[in-house]
Amino acid sequence: MTAPRASLFAQDPRTKARNAAEKRFRAYGLAAIITALLALVWLLISIFGNGLPAFKQTFLTFPVTLDAAALDKSGTLDPAVMAKVTTIGYAKQLVNGLQTELDAKGIGGDLNAKELAKMISEESAATLRDRVLADPKLIGTTIEFTALASGRIDGYYKGRVTMASAALDKNTSPAQLILADQMKAAGILTIGLNSGFLTMPDASDKRPEAAGLGVAIIGSFYMMLVVLVLALPIGVAASIYLEEFAPTNRWTDIIEVNIANLAAVPSIVYGILGLAIFINTVGLPQSAPIVGGLVLTLLSLPRIIIPTRAALKAVPPSIRDAALGVGASRLQTVFHHVLPLAMPGILTGTIIGLAQALGETAPLLLIGMVAFVRDFPGAPPDGLFDPAAALPVQIYNWTTRGDPGFVERASGAIIVLLVFLIIMNTVAILLRRKFERRW
Amino acid sequence: MNDMQMEQRLDIHTTKIEARKVQVYYGTNHALKDVDVDVLDKTVTAFIGPSGCGKSTFLRCLNRMNDTIPSCRVDGKITMQGEDINDPRVDPVQLRARIGMVFQKPNPFPKSIYDNVAYGPKIHGLTRNKAELDEIVEKSLRKAALWNEVKDRLASPGTGLSGGQQQRLCIARAIATSPEVLLMDEPCSALDPIATAQVEELIDELRTQFSVVIVTHSMQQAARVSQKTAFFHLGYLVEYGDTATIFTNPRDPRTESYITGRIG
Repeated sequence: MTAPRASLFAQDPRTKARNAAEKRFRAYGLAAIITALLALVWLLISIFGNGLPAFKQTFLTFPVTLDAAALDKSGTLDPAVMAKVTTIGYAKQLVNGLQTELDAKGIGGDLNAKELAKMISEESAATLRDRVLADPKLIGTTIEFTALASGRIDGYYKGRVTMASAALDKNTSPAQLILADQMKAAGILTIGLNSGFLTMPDASDKRPEAAGLGVAIIGSFYMMLVVLVLALPIGVAASIYLEEFAPTNRWTDIIEVNIANLAAVPSIVYGILGLAIFINTVGLPQSAPIVGGLVLTLLSLPRIIIPTRAALKAVPPSIRDAALGVGASRLQTVFHHVLPLAMPGILTGTIIGLAQALGETAPLLLIGMVAFVRDFPGAPPDGLFDPAAALPVQIYNWTTRGDPGFVERASGAIIVLLVFLIIMNTVAILLRRKFERRW
Repeated sequence: MNDMQMEQRLDIHTTKIEARKVQVYYGTNHALKDVDVDVLDKTVTAFIGPSGCGKSTFLRCLNRMNDTIPSCRVDGKITMQGEDINDPRVDPVQLRARIGMVFQKPNPFPKSIYDNVAYGPKIHGLTRNKAELDEIVEKSLRKAALWNEVKDRLASPGTGLSGGQQQRLCIARAIATSPEVLLMDEPCSALDPIATAQVEELIDELRTQFSVVIVTHSMQQAARVSQKTAFFHLGYLVEYGDTATIFTNPRDPRTESYITGRIG
């Protein structure tokens, strides 16, 4: 008979070593995933911790008497004459209004008018002026006005400014903060949702409380529109031609290699290209969404072509044979059978490409999208040629500014950008589910 | 099923496709050499031979499906009722509408059963209205012996059928355009014996209307369904003749070796 075999219950050294190797490998994998997850959680905590306060805003609500003697010296309500009164004139009205309200509530007697003025955002005087110029009949009446609190007061309620830091800050003082607390108790100062963050344009360095993403969101939206309209049809048509019709020879090989290389070209190179071609040669305006859109189109094309070709390649050849076998032309084969089957992959690739384009910053810096733009671009198509900002560039822009209020705004803008990206990726997944092999 | 008595009457059938000195090259590889075959009308012609002998390649020459393979080159003359099918004036799409094809693996479109059959007539504009199309679909499915099994679920996906049903659906799709010749590339190789029997029965019925060319690995199948048989070996057409003669009294020793199982 054969030699007695070892028991099945005892593992031989080889098996032990193999099992140990597998265990180690699993541990490495688990460690890698946990590290990645921790990094993600840390990133999210940091972004949301810094950025969520940007969606809250401190407001001061009080009645303002619009003094006819100061704002409309001629007494004619002539807009041309009234426009001569600058925001300084309106700032005085605001301070007077606030002082009157404080006196009525019996608080804040020891602050002078200059210190009181520093508690109100400089932006508010401009807002009040625009409102009066739009409706001159308001002159002489008393209106209930909601002003933005200044960046320091706003920061106090977001934990950015403390009594200690205020003592060292020439822009604010502990007395102002004490008064702010009193105003809060009296109901003058309120903290509410900051809808202006999404609708207002950018503001200058000293007014972080008034800075918003309105122009940047519109600019990014216009650029995505341009990319979608240009890159999707060009990319899909190029993919179909290369995959289904082009002969395989040296030329198509060169094209293929170059498409793969283009996808790896640093994005700032596209910015230089856009500057040279679209602005210097063609003469399109700087800072315009049309130029940004064209540059991002060039950037997105290889990123759309590669997944689209992969999706077309994944359609089984038997389907092409079947269609050709019943006498369909190549075009009919592609459009009736291959393209519908490749659609989920194409859509996913396109949306991921768009999402990447939405986050591109470097090429936009070179074509002037970094400019300070306060005017909203018009409606398309003309609006595509107006100056605008872009979301990622706005984030970059804000992080370079001195006032700590802008750090909060930048993080808030990152949240907005992330939300847009998540929406686009969700749409990609939903479309994929909807179109994926219905049977 | 098959009838050896038929062979006497074969000669009355006219020649549908005539191939002379057909050469096929894949790049530098000379895959098919000097093939002469006459495919007769209303006859089942079987191509047999070991794997890689060129029988499928030759079948694909007949409806120019080899055009889709970039490295493939076809020389020689193939005529269909006197017209050279490789003539530059011939549109392969039009040719394929007249020479239908059924593939080795059932490949229904991922559409409904109805749309699968209706696709060919639709793109060729064979019908003027829905009623005519319905009629063609029903007729084709009946000819393919599938109607009774699917008539209540024409809107359900063709890919949801069993393998044998899918292959019969592919046959229905191929005959819906009323081709003159039906090419079948190992149509039963992915099917079980029962489905195979159904398809073979179908082929025998189709013979009354079309000329059928079938490539098969199974010599039994060739013997059962065909009246003419061509034996291919290493790119050569070794022998072509009446099925009964090939299987009972082959002229070439290679044919005899193959059908008795000594080579292959």
